[in-house]
Amino acid sequence: MPNRMKCTLGAALLAAGLVSVVAQAAPSLKVGVRRITETQYRHTIADIFGSDIEVSARFEPEKREDGLLALGSAQLSLTSSGFEQYFVLASAIAKQVVTREHVASCKSNECARQFIAKYGEQLFRRPLTEQELAARSAVAGSGLELALTSLLVAPEFLFRVETAEPDPDKPGQNRLDAYTKAARLSFLLWDTTPDAELLAAARSGAIHTEAGLRQQLTRLTSSPRYEQGARAFFADMLQLDGFDNLVKDPQIYPKFNLAVAAAAKEQTLKTTVELLIRQKRDYRELFTSNDTFINRPLAAVYNVPYLSAAEWAPYSFDASSERSGILTQVSFLSLFAHPGTSSPTRRGIKIHEIFMCEPTPDPPADVDFSKVKDSTQGTVRGRLLDHMQNTGCTACHRRSDPPGLALEHFDGLGQLRTLENGTPIDVSADLNGAKFTGATGLASFLRQDVRVPACLVRNVYAYGVGRKTDERDEDYLADQTRAFVSGGYRVPDLMTQIATTPEFFKVVVPSGARPAPTTTPTTATAATTTSAGGL
Amino acid sequence: MASHFNRRSVLKGMLGGAAVTVGLPVLDMFLDGNGVAFADGAKLPVRFGTYFWGLGLTDTPTGGTRWVPKTVGPGYEITPELDCLAAVKDKVSVFSGFRVIPDGRANLVHWSGHASILSGIAPASSTRFDGPSFDTRIADAIGGTTRFRVLDIDASVSRRPVSYSTRTGTTFATPEATPLALYTRLFGAGFQDPNSDQWRPDPSIMLRQSVLSAVKDQREALFAGVGKADRIKLDQYFTSLREMENQLAVQLQRPDRCEACVVPAAPKEMPHAASVDVVNSNTRTLAKLLAMGLACNQTRVFNFVHTAGSSETYMAGQSKIYHQITHDEPTDAQLGYQPETSKLAGLVMQGFGGLLAEMEAIREGDGTLLDNMLIMAFSDTGYAKIHSIENIPLLLAGRAGGRHKAGQHVHATGEPVTRVSLTAQQLVGAPVGEFGVGAMKTSNPVREVMA
Repeated sequence: MPNRMKCTLGAALLAAGLVSVVAQAAPSLKVGVRRITETQYRHTIADIFGSDIEVSARFEPEKREDGLLALGSAQLSLTSSGFEQYFVLASAIAKQVVTREHVASCKSNECARQFIAKYGEQLFRRPLTEQELAARSAVAGSGLELALTSLLVAPEFLFRVETAEPDPDKPGQNRLDAYTKAARLSFLLWDTTPDAELLAAARSGAIHTEAGLRQQLTRLTSSPRYEQGARAFFADMLQLDGFDNLVKDPQIYPKFNLAVAAAAKEQTLKTTVELLIRQKRDYRELFTSNDTFINRPLAAVYNVPYLSAAEWAPYSFDASSERSGILTQVSFLSLFAHPGTSSPTRRGIKIHEIFMCEPTPDPPADVDFSKVKDSTQGTVRGRLLDHMQNTGCTACHRRSDPPGLALEHFDGLGQLRTLENGTPIDVSADLNGAKFTGATGLASFLRQDVRVPACLVRNVYAYGVGRKTDERDEDYLADQTRAFVSGGYRVPDLMTQIATTPEFFKVVVPSGARPAPTTTPTTATAATTTSAGGL
Repeated sequence: MASHFNRRSVLKGMLGGAAVTVGLPVLDMFLDGNGVAFADGAKLPVRFGTYFWGLGLTDTPTGGTRWVPKTVGPGYEITPELDCLAAVKDKVSVFSGFRVIPDGRANLVHWSGHASILSGIAPASSTRFDGPSFDTRIADAIGGTTRFRVLDIDASVSRRPVSYSTRTGTTFATPEATPLALYTRLFGAGFQDPNSDQWRPDPSIMLRQSVLSAVKDQREALFAGVGKADRIKLDQYFTSLREMENQLAVQLQRPDRCEACVVPAAPKEMPHAASVDVVNSNTRTLAKLLAMGLACNQTRVFNFVHTAGSSETYMAGQSKIYHQITHDEPTDAQLGYQPETSKLAGLVMQGFGGLLAEMEAIREGDGTLLDNMLIMAFSDTGYAKIHSIENIPLLLAGRAGGRHKAGQHVHATGEPVTRVSLTAQQLVGAPVGEFGVGAMKTSNPVREVMA
């Protein structure tokens, strides 16, 4: 039962009274442990403690699996140097919070417990257990800062621990618990920890009801933060993380620098969010629309004037630019190229992987390169045609290279060109019988390809649930794709639609997991005088 | 060795007016009695490092080679692509003719080679190893008494920082990728000058220990109901936490004096480029800092990546990268090898030469730092043009405190690379009698090089 406590810390900490208890103790099963990403960490800290808190650290590198970092993060742990970084970061954040909130005046134990319970629930995305609270309260004797550091460096914060419980409506079956559901929604749609309302919906169990879930979905997708969630999804899917260490040879590409790299990534994200989220346009316009934004460093690379006084300005490429959609932006063209040349193969592989969910196998080890000619002459096409004639290479290169060859009017930085080594570049392509020419031809091809919407649907689902899809998901994904297509390829509708299906909260029990009794829930902190949730 | 550490006691300190009492955990340093001694003792510690470069060295289609010495045993001659070893060749052994035996698994290009050398198992997929890399075993054996159990460094300026060190096979170490980052880690906050007369234990360290204790208390509850793969992940988390605890406990000890330790100045930021000249100069700067980190007893184990498996390095101003050249360049009919590829291989090896020079430059006892260490250098392939996993170049550099009979060329015919990995582990005192799986399983180190 909740105890009624008084806290001396003022309004901020009185809010801690909202912290409540786990409704029932039932056997729990941990169905997923996913490391939170850098953006999730940053958004969480900003949402809980305010955007003025400085988060300055090197984050652990992420890893892409099946096209998504979200799937890689479900595989990753924390290395010792990563732990060191998170530990230093946790101390720095805790220090800033405690200094700003003047909580050094928290004299009583109860006050400390409320402080820990409040932030603990937000960080762990569920109420703390009594043991978790007691361990931090003991540390708090030497300073609240230490207790907060201990929360910030805990695995329960750095990893999303997803939990299932027996489903009261379906005996013998499990369901995701309410807090796990809340976190799935919040990370999919906002890329951050659940806010107070979402936690309340978990606490009351409302999230388990269809009406309650819809209410939250409407709220989440109509919030300005939804753009932040969509940005995180597209940054992952479009593989825009590679910019951090992108290098280009300064003699060959003198216009390239770190400002260009940062701007290129931002351009693609801005374009995508504007087109698909704000304007709710057809997903396939990503390939065909030339409405975008540029800034001064990018204008130099695109070789167009920059007339605005603002940092970014809307811009539309005309037909003479040969550009068409995000595949012809500097981001895609420079990321999937070499330091000193373009790479039709890389670009083609990435088009298949990112937009059609078709990975390319590793090249065979025993390639006979003897037929390959010197490529300092003519265009790269000649070299690749040699590959296509090689029996070991042909199957993959026939598929990977044509889309890349269609983009060959753009060099390794994304600048328009028509000659290579003095020879005119041929941008015609034949992909298993589908013939197209140049970037605009490629865009039209992708626009009508059925793999493209299916791939997006698969990515949204896998990103949300943090699990690779397999044949058991095929029917479900096909249904979702049909709905997406018949609804006019609207991305926000797709996200909502997926989040309302039971499959989004489906329990997949990992190998070796056995239900364990839940630990004692927190009771002592629940000064629920103002709690909307209660028991 | 641990006699002057009698720390199974309780330390007390004051911070911000609060009394702090923390029991010190049992450290590896109290348990591990093997091998190393301190500056006030008779022996200097032996250090271990791995050094990786991408794209192997050049063979020729007719059976010749640009790197394998003609003679075996001591006093081998310097070959064109091993020119970088000339200055210290008496301290480096060259191993040729060793191969990866994939046991029916595919040769995963630019991956199977070093995955097998490090984990002893030909991997099933090119994103992970099927076992831990052996440097972690060495780190567990000899790295527990220093502030950092192991340091990971990547000089490649590649798209993603690269390390091939892993405990789980899926999570790889996060390397320091710039000189400034390495400097800050080694000599920034938390560094205690071993030669300072002003040393005093820092009570805030005990507070930080208490923070970690609170996390550790929840371990059991966290593991309840967890699946197998997640358990491995969480285990790794707690291993990392323990390393942090160890680091803090080390910082509560008065450091032993290190005669060779001179705290360096902060380095400048390096240029952001991946051409081989920049990578080599970056390697040299990082190696200089690393050498001082070793001399100052901040770590005893490191993993150094010069360039990754499918290396992106290139000759400045050239449009083709080295990787592409290894595959595309025809064999010159007159020379009998790929001239451009061989030239780049030689340049890439200059990076290793630079690192060895930095280790050799530090005087320690009667010799140099290099005399008190062992570096195992290797690549992902043998002859890169055909992604060969036969004849992968392997080098052991440094005398390992006298245990390594260095300066030899050992030639094997098709024997597994794991023999050299096992040799390295045994030379630095890791308690390992057998290494590898299947056809690469071996309990037979290369005894010719062991004193």
